[in-house]
Amino acid sequence: MPSDHANSAIKVVRPVSGRWESLALLLAVLAVIASVAGYITLRPQKVGPPITLSWQVRSFDGLGAVDQAIHSALLPAGEEIIWFNNDTGGWITLERAQKILLPPFYRDAFWKTNGEVQWQLILPGTHQPHAASGDVHADAPVTPPDQTANKVSQATQGQGATVYYGSGGRAPGQSAYLLVIGHAHAGVMWANQATIWVHRDPNAPYPGIVKPESLVGDGWRQVIPYNGASEVERVKGTQP
Amino acid sequence: MTVSTKHRALWRRCIALLLLIPAIALASPAPSSGKKLKIGVTLHPYYSFVANIVGDRAEVVALIPAEANPHNYQPQPDDITRAMNIDVLVVNGIGHDEWAFQIIKAAGRGATLPIIQANASVALIPIGGGQDGVKVVNPHTFVSTTAAIQQVFEITRRLGELDPDNAAVYRQNALAYAARIRELRAGFMTRFAALDLSSFRCATTHAGYDYMMQEFGLFVSAVIEPRHGVAPTARQLANTIDAIKKANVRVLFAEKNFSLDLAKPIEAATGVKVFALSHITGNTYSPDEFEVAMRENLETLAEAVEFTQR
Repeated sequence: MPSDHANSAIKVVRPVSGRWESLALLLAVLAVIASVAGYITLRPQKVGPPITLSWQVRSFDGLGAVDQAIHSALLPAGEEIIWFNNDTGGWITLERAQKILLPPFYRDAFWKTNGEVQWQLILPGTHQPHAASGDVHADAPVTPPDQTANKVSQATQGQGATVYYGSGGRAPGQSAYLLVIGHAHAGVMWANQATIWVHRDPNAPYPGIVKPESLVGDGWRQVIPYNGASEVERVKGTQP
Repeated sequence: MTVSTKHRALWRRCIALLLLIPAIALASPAPSSGKKLKIGVTLHPYYSFVANIVGDRAEVVALIPAEANPHNYQPQPDDITRAMNIDVLVVNGIGHDEWAFQIIKAAGRGATLPIIQANASVALIPIGGGQDGVKVVNPHTFVSTTAAIQQVFEITRRLGELDPDNAAVYRQNALAYAARIRELRAGFMTRFAALDLSSFRCATTHAGYDYMMQEFGLFVSAVIEPRHGVAPTARQLANTIDAIKKANVRVLFAEKNFSLDLAKPIEAATGVKVFALSHITGNTYSPDEFEVAMRENLETLAEAVEFTQR
């Protein structure tokens, strides 16, 4: 019969491996998936720019050109001020800043181009701002020094921070500035280092209390420098 | 010899030994004091910075030959030998000296050599003029005075941690050096004070001068190179020429040590006057190279601004 003949012609050939190929392929696929998943989980992470909090602003792309220039000058000035204090116990006054040509306090073309900001030095616990160094516009309303001193003295009493306060800048879109330097022995936040704050109003009054929570409440924003360390971290990535 | 004599002799030897031990210890050199730190540097400005910070208290070792162009440098065997013998390396870290990491890896120092990132605390600014609105970090922090001082302070702080015996000297030297740089800057500030900077517009072939411009309140309107060290395409060049014309740019800053191939056609197409600024890459390393080069740069910048006032 033809059908019997056909059946006898079909010969089922079984693989020598006994169908292990399918299992091997499945295992290989699983191994590849596991490897890819492992790499994705453990690979070096490219980090983005540091994320600022609502009360912070990034120097790199959050500040205008004038604010950026003043911030760039305040950073080394802060370092030098801290070294001076470590060596002598004193502070670089605005008068001394003129003598040692220290930007952004020194009145040169930089100062002129960047809004002629009026700086005051507020010393911790002395109740004496160094405003009498001539850092006042000729046509600006002048606050009697004693009055300013009293207000500042009440506000800064016991805070232990030294502050360089800049206001009255005339460049468009310019901020007011605070360079706050903490004392290690005074137990203040960010002791022995400088922090820089800006206020959208270039004529923002001296905040009185220079603790972060008060500054934030008064509309001041801490400037977060996007520095070389951040850039290296961004480029090279960090391990998770 | 009696027993008591024997004991006495033994006691004498023990006491002599006890006296000798501290004497020997005091006579031998202290582990670290007296040995000068060997500080490697990658770029010319860092040679000047470190030489002025350390004075004669440490040795400054340039990692690559002085005449080498850091922009396209290929590490050489001698560099690896130098990397094997330094105690610390000062780098820019954000551009210009990526090859240094290949060298120290080849020298087997990748895990052990302390690295000082000179820019670690410098507030970086974006490249000015174009870049399609994208803010790209400008790595030329050493073509400036303020950012240079910030780097001098950072290097000083880190060297002081590595070499505490000399930390105070390093700091005094750094402050004196910073004062000299500021004095240099102040001289030109006086000159700039008499000029109207508000209408100054410039273009640059290389995006290397934003930090220096920032100090004088000046801005770059256009950069010819689309990216650091990359030549523009014909289309990009045409767009830049349009931008220069629209912004009424009268000055183009080319790089002193690079070819003027890019500057010449732009000068011909737009009528801008070409001035050359230095990237501070010379043929010799020297402590005063940074000050000399920056003086020339500031002189050129002042001449360019004065040219636009005519």
